[in-house]
Formats: sequence, structure tokens, C-alpha cells
Amino acid sequence: MRSPLRSILILAVVLALALSACAAPAPPAAGGGQQASEEAPAQEGGFVLGVSNTLVGNGWREQMICAIKAQARASGVVDRLVIINRNAGPTEQIADLESLISQGVDAIIFNPTDRDALNAVIESGADQGIVMVAVDQAVSSPKAYVATNDQYLYAKLGAEWLFEKLGGKGKVVEMRGIDGVPADTDRHNGFQDALANYPEIQVVAEVFTGWDPSVGAQQALDIITTMEIDGIWTSGIDYPVVEQFIAANKPFVPIVGADNNGFIKQLIELSDEGLVGAAVTNPPAIGAVGTAIAIDALLGKEPERVVTLTPKVFSTDNVEELEALYAPDQPPGWSTYVNIPPYTSYQGKEDVIACKGPGEE
Amino acid sequence: MTGAALARGRTAMPRFLARHGWALGVWALLGLLLAWYSTLIPRFGQFQVVSITKNSLPLIYLAVGQAIIVIAGGIDLSLGGLLLLSNVVAARFMEGQPLGVALLLAVAILVGLALLNGLVGLVIHRSGMPDIVVTLATSYIWSGLALWILPSPGGGTAPEMRWLFTGSPSGIGGTWVTPGMMLALPVLAIYLVLRRTRLGLGLYAVGSHREAARLAGLDVARAKVAAYAFGGMLAGLAGLAMVALTGTGDPRFSVGANATLNSLAAVVLGGVALTGGAGSVIGAVAAAVILIMLNPILSAMGIDPNHAQVIQGALIAGVMMVGGLATILRERSS
Repeated sequence: MRSPLRSILILAVVLALALSACAAPAPPAAGGGQQASEEAPAQEGGFVLGVSNTLVGNGWREQMICAIKAQARASGVVDRLVIINRNAGPTEQIADLESLISQGVDAIIFNPTDRDALNAVIESGADQGIVMVAVDQAVSSPKAYVATNDQYLYAKLGAEWLFEKLGGKGKVVEMRGIDGVPADTDRHNGFQDALANYPEIQVVAEVFTGWDPSVGAQQALDIITTMEIDGIWTSGIDYPVVEQFIAANKPFVPIVGADNNGFIKQLIELSDEGLVGAAVTNPPAIGAVGTAIAIDALLGKEPERVVTLTPKVFSTDNVEELEALYAPDQPPGWSTYVNIPPYTSYQGKEDVIACKGPGEE
Repeated sequence: MTGAALARGRTAMPRFLARHGWALGVWALLGLLLAWYSTLIPRFGQFQVVSITKNSLPLIYLAVGQAIIVIAGGIDLSLGGLLLLSNVVAARFMEGQPLGVALLLAVAILVGLALLNGLVGLVIHRSGMPDIVVTLATSYIWSGLALWILPSPGGGTAPEMRWLFTGSPSGIGGTWVTPGMMLALPVLAIYLVLRRTRLGLGLYAVGSHREAARLAGLDVARAKVAAYAFGGMLAGLAGLAMVALTGTGDPRFSVGANATLNSLAAVVLGGVALTGGAGSVIGAVAAAVILIMLNPILSAMGIDPNHAQVIQGALIAGVMMVGGLATILRERSS
């Protein structure tokens, strides 16, 4: 039973197995040509783009991917997209980026999970001649292209619109997102800086909605039924707040939100009933901007390394603009602002809604 | 003489296959997947080998830790929480430290988590509460502690630590030798402990029939504590590997929860019976690598990312059913 022969046999097999973990996949095409990057001069087309996203089931992120697809298709120079889309942290995203590099894509557009953790893989990709573009959130590596929405100005421009509307005087509510998240911190700083110029504006309540519509709705209901307020600034939980005014049968106060379809609809339809408000853009089409940058870099056009989009403010002061944004067939969470000149070249919201990449159907 | 040896050889081989057949099958599947993957991508070299090896390390350690506990008749839902704890302690205190301090910290983390989880094992044994209940509770405690130590992603580690687990001081594009060693050595050590020591065989005995083991004079409490201590230590190693991979700490609950679920999937896929007492860590290692490889393979095949998770689940279920069928057929024939 415990014969030495068997022990040796088992040990040998185990050793072989353990070693095969490293040895089996030994480079069949060895030669260390690994780092010799494809220093191909600027090509004219036929590109393959990789996409890495790490938050699944989020409307904004899904729209970001659709915008990437639409822009890649509209460019006419992209053959194929390889999309890796799963809920993940930096460990998994590093693995995903490495797997895209392994597949030999020409450029990678990714929404980073961490500012610093991806730097090594970004540099490894860039050294192999792959164009690396971070969208929505910044990374600290200088080898990446970065395209983001300006979160500081998102809050500052919206807050300034609100404070002007109130004549520089009144009680306002700040409905924030998630405490500690960079976008929320940046927005809060923008809000505070706007506030500094309006000494007679008073913040009577500051709440964290967690960017959760049901949470924000409850908080808004509590506030409007128990407090005297003159205006509300929200970090994007906007249409649920307007609904609470209707539910509580309270007169509207000026309200600032994002370019959500549901909010745009309310601003258009309820303007007769006295709803005044502004939608500040935070477009998921930033993915399309990143795609355009990646393609420009591949075509040798040397685009700018860092692009920060300044948000636009659409308000009930100009209802026609709001009507142009409104997408009747889309859900309330749909981001209406999709055309970002000079970057996007798709045919507006129809192409983003279609959500078809190159070669699909 | 020769006849006897031959006869023994004839009976030993089927027994070897019966005992290790599943593990061999999982390794064969891994080999096939690797071969297939190499045809799906334009180039398969050191970069890809290192990438797969190092990215698999955290799950491999966790799967081996889970395997020991399951073999000894338990189940640990807190391994992901312990991984988080190790990860944030390492990231918070190793940042900017010289190698000596970092190594000392690493040893302290491994010993500390072994003691901590050994204590959990003792509590389970003494209280008589189900493993699953106690470790579910401790998983929340460890995850909460991790958030308290490092409230948001950050921190760092020594470049040498990164080199040890990834083959490169920056974490990418290094040699396969050190991650390969870090894979093989701990796994081999654990395998030998399990198969070649009194303690290890005791874990199998306790896992397979606790009462019989006790009546045979085995120290059941010692086995339980040892199994959970090994599990805690390996979760600590997984946390260290994760810091080395990313260069930062990540206290988010979802990271730990995913890791726990994946460790259980690897254990099941690796042929360790959830009823305890059977299986080996060797199979769990291959299963962990397979789970990590599924994502790059599915994306290289151009499968819609929204379907990838379904396929992943179906694959695990399919393999398990084939395995179950094989067991039934074997039992029927013998």
C-alpha cells in the first residue's frame, strides 16, 4: 500500500503537474520577440479596438459602450471591437487589459477602476504600440490619453445657474452622490466655490442620495414637506425629486439636475405648471470621445493627451433646446446629450440607441 | 518476484487513476484550454504565460485554502474577508517600506491570519454551530475591519514584493520564473502536508467521518483548528498576491465576496467533495487557473460580453454533471 514505488510515482506526477504550470505554456514561438512592438507607421484603417468596462447593469455605462460602438462604426476605419464587460476591481481589470493586449488590438478604451493601479499595464500596452485611452475617470500614467467630463464644473455651472435664478438669495438644498467617491468630491468642491460668490445663499440641507433614485426620492419628500426651501441642486437624481413635488402637491422650486431623459421630459411638459430648472450634461458619450481620440492617434494625427469636456447647461429658459435633446422612446435614465463636436461623427441619438458596432448586422 | 511486482503494478494503476482521475482530468482540460487559447490570439509568449500565472495566484491560494477546510469537513465563507484584511494591512503598512520591513510584515500577516482563523475553527468546534453560519458572520467582521483600516482604495507595497508575485517590480511584463515558483512551492508544500503527514491524513479522516475519527483516537479539535489556520494563512497569501498585482489596496466588500464564491467554484470544479474527506488541492489549482482563463478565452472568441457569465456558469455546471455521471458509472461497475 505505502510502497516507495507508489510514493515516488505520485511525487513525480505532482512535480510534473506543478512544473507544467510554468513549463507547459512555455512560449512555442520563443525568441523573446515579445517586446519588439509593432512599430507600424500610421495605418489607414482596419483597426481593432479593445474596450474594458468594470460596472455592468448601470445605464450610464451601458450607454457609454453604445456610444463607443456607434463612433467606431461611424468612423469607417474600425473593423472590429473586442469588449470585455464585467463587474470587477483593479485586479480583474489588469487581467482584462492584458488579455486585450494579448489579442493584438490596436487601441484600448477603458473606464479605469483606479487612478494608479493600472499604470504598469497601461505602460506595457503603450510600449507595445497600443494606444491606451482612459475615459470618464482619469489615470495618473502619462502614457495614457485621458478623456473626462469636468465634474467640478458640472456642479459649479449648475449651482451658479440656480443661484442666479434665485436672485442671489435664498435657501437651497444640496443633494450629493456617494461620499468619498472622486466625482462626488469634485462636484462638492465646485458647488462650494460657486456658493462662495453668493453670500446670501444658504444651504439648509445636504444629503447623500447614493445616486439611488428611491433614496433620493424619499429624502426629497422629507425635505419638501418639512422645510421652507427656494431651490434644489442635485448630483443627477433629478426626475425622482420633481415627482415628489407632484406627489406632495407642493409648488415647484427651481431645480438643477443632469441631462437625464426623464428630467428633460419634466422640464418640457411641466414648464406650463411653473417648473423651472436646468439640466447639466455629464455625457456617457465620453466613450465616443475616447474612441475618436484613439482613432486619431492610430491615424497619426497626434490628438491632445488630456481632454476635459466642459458641461453644457440646458434650461427652461430655452425650451426648444430641451425639445431637441428629448428622446421619447428612451427610459428616464437615458442621457440625452450625445453629440459632442468635434469628436463624435455618428448620426445623433439614433445611432447610439441602435448600439451597433462595426460589422454588427 | 517480478510477477508480484507486476500484479501490484496492475492494481496500483487503476487505484491511482481512481484517486487522482478527476485532478488529472482538470489538468488535461486546462492544458487543452491553454492550447486552444494560444491559437485564438496572434502571439502566445512569455507575456501571456506570466499574465495568466500571476493573475491566477490570488484565486489559487484561496482555492487551496478552501480545499483544505472542505477536505476537513468544513466550509469557510470568510476567506474573501480574510483576503481583504491581508490586502489592506499590507497596502497600508508596506507602502514606502524597505524590503526587510515588508517581508516581516508579510510573515506577520500570514501568522496573524492563521491564528485568527484557527481561533474561528476552535469556536466552530466548541460551539457546535455550523461552519457556514460562523464563517458568514466572521466574513462581515473581517470585511468591516478592512474598511476601517483602509477606508478607500490606496496604499502600496515594496517593488521587490511585486517582483516576487508578478516577476516584475512594476507588476507587468516580467519573468515567469518567480510567479511560477510562488505558484508551485506553496501548493507543493500544502500537498505534502496533506498527503504525507499524520496531521494531513487526520484532516481527511475527520472530514470523511468525524465520529469514526474521534473514536479512532484522533484529536478532532486539533484537526479543525489546523484546517482553518491553513485556510487563514493561504487567504493571507492571496491578499499579499493581490497587493503585488495592483500595487494598491482595495477594501471593497465585493472584492472579497467574489473571491469567496470563486474559491468555492474552484474547489468544486477541482474535484474536492463538499461533503469532506475526498479530493486534493492539486485539482483545485488547475480549476482556479481555468476559472481565471475563461474570461480571456471568451473575449478572444468574440462572445458577447453579456453572455460570458452565463456561459461560465453553464460550463461549471456541465463539468460537474459529467463528473457526477462518471462517479455513478464507476460505482455501478465496481
